[in-house]
Amino acid sequence: MTSRPEYYVPQPYDPYADDEPQGGWFNSDGYLPRQPHDPHASQGHEIPQGYEVPQGYEVPQGYEVPQGYEVPQGYEVPQGYEVPQGYEVPQGYEVPQGYEIPQGYEVPQGYDYDPRTYPYQQPDDQQPDDQQTFALRTVAEPDAPAEPAYHVPESPEVGWDMAASRRRAWVSRAVLLCVLAVQAVLSLRLANTAFQDEALYLAAGHAELQHLLHGTPLPINYASYFSGSPQLYPVLAAVVDKRFGLTGARLLSLAFMLGTTTLLYSFTRRLFNERAALAGAALFAVVQSTVVMGYFATYDAAAVFLLALATWIVVRTDRAPVAAVLLAAPVAVLAVGVKYAAALYLPTIVVLALLTGWPHKGGRAYLRMLLLALGIGGLLAVGMYSTDLLAGVRQTTTDRDHGSDSAVFLLQRSAEWGGLMFLTAVGGAISYVRRSRMNESPLAQRLGTPGWRWRALLGLVLCGTALLAPAYQVHLGTVVSLFKHVGFGLLFAAPMAGVGVTRLIGAHFRYPQLGIMLWTATLCLGISQADWRFGVWPDSSKMIRVIDSHVDRKGHYLASTPEVPVYYLRDKTSHRQWQGVFALEYTDKKGRYHSGDAAYRAALRDGEFDLIVLDGLTNPRVDAVVADAVKGNPHYRLLADLPFRNSSGTGHYRIWTKTS
Amino acid sequence: MRLKERFCVARTAGTTRTAGKARVARTTLAACLAGVLALSGCSLLGDDGDDGGSSASGGRTAAPRAGASAAADIPYDVTPLLKPAKKYFGVAVPGAPTSMKSVDAYTGRTGKQPNLIEYYAGWGDGFDATGVRNAWAEGALTLMSWEPFDTPVADIAAGKSDAYIKEYATAVRKLNLPVVIDFADEFNGHWEKWGTNHVTPAQYVAAWRHIHQTFVDAGATNVIWSWSPNIVNPVKDVQLKPYYPGDAYVDWVGLIGYFTTGEDNAFDSVFGPTRDRIRTFTKKPMLLLETAAMPGERRRADIRNLFAGVEDDDDMLGFVWFNHKKRADWRLEASPLALKEFKRLAADDRFGFDVRKPS
Repeated sequence: MTSRPEYYVPQPYDPYADDEPQGGWFNSDGYLPRQPHDPHASQGHEIPQGYEVPQGYEVPQGYEVPQGYEVPQGYEVPQGYEVPQGYEVPQGYEVPQGYEIPQGYEVPQGYDYDPRTYPYQQPDDQQPDDQQTFALRTVAEPDAPAEPAYHVPESPEVGWDMAASRRRAWVSRAVLLCVLAVQAVLSLRLANTAFQDEALYLAAGHAELQHLLHGTPLPINYASYFSGSPQLYPVLAAVVDKRFGLTGARLLSLAFMLGTTTLLYSFTRRLFNERAALAGAALFAVVQSTVVMGYFATYDAAAVFLLALATWIVVRTDRAPVAAVLLAAPVAVLAVGVKYAAALYLPTIVVLALLTGWPHKGGRAYLRMLLLALGIGGLLAVGMYSTDLLAGVRQTTTDRDHGSDSAVFLLQRSAEWGGLMFLTAVGGAISYVRRSRMNESPLAQRLGTPGWRWRALLGLVLCGTALLAPAYQVHLGTVVSLFKHVGFGLLFAAPMAGVGVTRLIGAHFRYPQLGIMLWTATLCLGISQADWRFGVWPDSSKMIRVIDSHVDRKGHYLASTPEVPVYYLRDKTSHRQWQGVFALEYTDKKGRYHSGDAAYRAALRDGEFDLIVLDGLTNPRVDAVVADAVKGNPHYRLLADLPFRNSSGTGHYRIWTKTS
Repeated sequence: MRLKERFCVARTAGTTRTAGKARVARTTLAACLAGVLALSGCSLLGDDGDDGGSSASGGRTAAPRAGASAAADIPYDVTPLLKPAKKYFGVAVPGAPTSMKSVDAYTGRTGKQPNLIEYYAGWGDGFDATGVRNAWAEGALTLMSWEPFDTPVADIAAGKSDAYIKEYATAVRKLNLPVVIDFADEFNGHWEKWGTNHVTPAQYVAAWRHIHQTFVDAGATNVIWSWSPNIVNPVKDVQLKPYYPGDAYVDWVGLIGYFTTGEDNAFDSVFGPTRDRIRTFTKKPMLLLETAAMPGERRRADIRNLFAGVEDDDDMLGFVWFNHKKRADWRLEASPLALKEFKRLAADDRFGFDVRKPS
């Protein structure tokens, strides 16, 4: 008997065969669920297609085959055919006594007996003997082979080691580097002049810097209306801007965002494994918010980086002494200082302190959480009462004016900007709750994994955090900054999204195309949305060149976005000289007080402003009021009409100068 | 006082247009990822290339780029030319500015390069961008006197010539060099087709504002608008104020007046009454948009009065010498002694400057 039929086709090894419930999108391991008592398995065996039952078996000379000997379909032993002892040996042919067909073809441990795979190895007593072959006839029979002629050596349960190795670390770091390179390229391809927020923070930073270094009075009290401390990010960015310009300040943001992705990779790896970490980082790196914040000189990039750092500390100190978690407190508080809205994510970090500590410390994880909460709370209280930022916090974050954007609109935007990644995260979380195993190795089954409640809570916390910002903005009714805040939430959902991608791809990279499709879709959305985002505001370079010679230290100017000229022309003008289009109070030459639209009309009637720059985008209603008041106004002459293209089509700057 | 017949130049000048298995799977994944990256990378680079090439074309809504080609693309700022420190030294000579030959000859005779060239265009003519460029190349501003011979001013005000005005304004904007436009000059005279016998002040103002607004709407901010009445001396009964479109629509007040024999030739006698009336309703700077002195004994004295009068008035921007032979021979070369005096006075540094570099 040959040791192995020639039609043997190796079937994939199923690592999850013994695992928990199968089926569904995220459990794609390629096997149909197999019933323990498959009716097909017990009812005869199908001969694999292509196997030809030797019909008309050619009988060698002198060898008599019983007439009509046929290998029956399904190996049903024909009546009167005795196996093996009763095997009727044709005359002159002796079957050696005691010849043993190797019983049961030794199957390595861990391999299931599978009738589809080894159709001829039925340990069934009724199994007919193999067909006769020449070999059996010609080989001289050993006298008494007491032992089988060969041994299949004991093979280990798995052929690889699931523990971390240096090679694996370097391979995953190399892939991470590729992810970071993609992220950097996506951010760096964006180009436009400074957005009004960038211009505001940089201009404020320069003013704060002058104030710190030389005691120059601040043109306006930035702290009263900034949504982050003007002494933190703006000063840092201004230092960079002074040396390297706007591009330098934007590269600083890129560094923050690349750092964020790296930290995300690191703590996801700690929470799950490299694969989930890389997948999560790869998705996070290409969403609109990450790409845009990576080339946007606002404090968002710094804040999200600090949040990622705090999370990283919490996750990394899971096995360290409980007090080590306090290291995260100053970082988290700094994140809030940089941007007040970052406080929205602190509860997540605190709960993570509990969840990450639980598998290692059990009940002491509660102490860890409490300690972190107290640490953060204490530092925040100190920060609040030692600075004058509370007013700014109130104005810009907690008591922000409610807008008029509808909930449906906001949810739609949130879904467009982060929906795909969020759904992946939810899928990952559900799949993770159903099955905790994160490694193909069968050894992984025997690892002690946290219970489903813990897993569910982790999934809920991470995915739920992604919903905080949209929910809060729906409450505020404003779409302003939503795209950035969606990105803050996605940082926390990213680990679960990573799990989702690994589950989608399946064990042994069974369905890489699904992962690639998902990532490519996210990438395409990210690129197009980032391009759109960076084109929302007009390129102001021409406008600045036009007004450059009309601006000095004495004039009073009106502009749709005063921040932009204030930033670009900071050497010759101060923020104090510029008026925006959102609110004006004016007392005319006759001493009458005006506010709102009437104030604009009165001021223009009096020729109050020496220069007017409207973009028609920032506040179209007031722009129309101003343009109407300037028409036929003897004080003003149209200086330039500058058409521009932006994401929503075309528009134009209109610039008037006072001539009399 | 119809001193001349209008003639138009450059009708022909057009507007400017110008495992084993897992391993395989892993390799495949890596290859696919690399492929996707390479593809997206290529397309990104491609996009950038396209943007560099044709930033304004196409319907895509990519981020606008600050291209190097946009460097010289801002509208010309005429503000420094509205009230320059020095005086305009202008001339109206036949053929200019389409051909600068007669200007060059005038320069040779007077010893100074004129920096304001006036020409006359009929309503319906194309914009003489080439002429403006020619003048600009020699450091001179072009002043176009736009005269509605065949189109009623009321029709212009009613918008019947809008297509023409828009096309004209677009051509002016496209040229992006400063141009002075004076519409329907001498409107306060009865001798013009658009004069007091044919057009009411309201119609005149409406037409002026309409033209101005059309230019503004087209973004043609490079036009200096000169409102140009004849001096009031021969038409004392005609009030100027009703004809004034308003400071929002006017940059200069251009006076048209000549030193003629038989009239007092003091500067204040010729221009004073008109100036005083105009100063009751506007403070816009003034220019002697058309002036000259009749040949004769008094011509040298007239020229002295002209220079002195312009020099003495800070609000007087300069003058344009009407160097034509129409009705009378206003050409300087007609009287050598006067020309000599003119040359002497024109040598004053306060007259003339390069309009391309206003101080």
